[in-house]
Amino acid sequence: MVCYNCGCRLSEHDFCTSCGVDVALYKRVIAMSNRFYNDGLDKASVRDLSGAIVSLKQSLKFNKNNIEARNLLGLVYFEMGETVSALSEWVISKNLRPKKNIADDYIDMIQTNQSRLDAINQTIKKYNQALLYCYQDSQDLAVIQLKKVLSYNPKYVKAHQLLALLYINIEEWEKARKELIKCSQIDANNTTTLRYLKEVEHMLMPEEAAKNLTKKKSASDDIIRYQSGNETIIQPMHVREKKGVSSLLNLGIGAIIGLAIAFFLILPAKIQEAKADMNAELRVVSEQSDVKTATIDELQQKIQSMTEENKRLNEELTSYQGTDGNLRATDGLMMAVNSYLTNPDDIEAVAGYMEALEPQEGEEMNDTASFVTLKENFLLLVGEKLANHYYDIGYDSYKSEDYESAVPNLERAYRYNTTNGDALFYLGNSYRRMGNEDMAKEIYAKVMDEFPDTQKARDAETHLAEINNQN
Amino acid sequence: MIDFEEELKKFHPSLEVEDAEEAIYNEDLTDMADILIKIVEKAAKESEE
Repeated sequence: MVCYNCGCRLSEHDFCTSCGVDVALYKRVIAMSNRFYNDGLDKASVRDLSGAIVSLKQSLKFNKNNIEARNLLGLVYFEMGETVSALSEWVISKNLRPKKNIADDYIDMIQTNQSRLDAINQTIKKYNQALLYCYQDSQDLAVIQLKKVLSYNPKYVKAHQLLALLYINIEEWEKARKELIKCSQIDANNTTTLRYLKEVEHMLMPEEAAKNLTKKKSASDDIIRYQSGNETIIQPMHVREKKGVSSLLNLGIGAIIGLAIAFFLILPAKIQEAKADMNAELRVVSEQSDVKTATIDELQQKIQSMTEENKRLNEELTSYQGTDGNLRATDGLMMAVNSYLTNPDDIEAVAGYMEALEPQEGEEMNDTASFVTLKENFLLLVGEKLANHYYDIGYDSYKSEDYESAVPNLERAYRYNTTNGDALFYLGNSYRRMGNEDMAKEIYAKVMDEFPDTQKARDAETHLAEINNQN
Repeated sequence: MIDFEEELKKFHPSLEVEDAEEAIYNEDLTDMADILIKIVEKAAKESEE
């Protein structure tokens, strides 16, 4: 305790030892404040929160600087759900004693958690809204709002009391009793709670004595309300239950309606569902079919392309390998060259190999460039000798009238030496004597073209005219 | 028997968070000690006069 005048610590004397002012009354005022604070603390410890509030307020009336009393008052308000009142007390406490004050912690507890503060504010707003509904006679809405408030803040005593009052008004005694019991658990000696509870228990007593039997008329004449155990049963007046034929009739009508509903509502839906399933399956099958068709097309295209490739490769192989004739011709040429190199005088052997170069009837020769070059170069060496060789044989055959043998040899003789006009002339004669006039005419014409102004040409012309005259 | 209307009058709206500041400012913090000090000071003045 300090002196109100100089702030010096007071002794047991009734005056200040520092400034000398009379502090007797002042000490008694402070003592009264402390006494009320102690009383408030006792009441708060036994949950008589209303009583604690009264005592603590008295304490503060005597001494506003009683920080403990103020902080405890804030705590009591907070416990009863009056958060803003609690905050007010703690803020004032902090202003009176800024340092070493537990009110700091209490304020931080609320203000640091912004969502909690918002929830508290919403709760208060809803309570005020519920009170407004009560003034506007919208009690149902008030009940709904109060239930929401209490779900957020179950310790809000005033909300419990207001809800209990509303239940009392509509004679929901049991519900009112539950709310009031919750109130008394928070604030034991609240006079409002006790008064309501007394009223409710008074109203509940007759129902408890005759639990399963009593019926009670409600304030309205249109309904009957009675308690059956824990349940409240509300039944309209003048209602008689119909029995017998009417119930059977109702049953029949219900069955018909049920069938009609099933037929018109459920069955089409089932049919639609079945159709949808079928369509889905059909779609799946179609997709599979499409996939298979696409696969078949793809495979066919592959087959075609592979066939073409095969053909191309065969052609290529053919061009590389050649026909039998090409192979034979190549071999023949090589043999001919080899024979010539081995024995240049043995023209007969060379001729024999060179005959292999000649294509057979109906055979196509695809000579390569290198083959042609080799052949031409070889013929430059042996061509004349071959021509002479074949001419000798052909002429001998011609003279022997063996025209069948003469023709091919004389032909070769001319082929290997195109300057040998005799070979050509005798070839023509051989054709003529064989009776092949067409070839004879052709050969004679060639003689005339290639060897003009020669005896052979004149003789050829003569023979040609003879043939033409015969025809 | 409880009268609903009369009981309802006893219920007042609670302070919202926005109203806290004004409530704190309007709080009358005069206590017995302040009154006593004023009385003592007044008495001292009168005795001087």
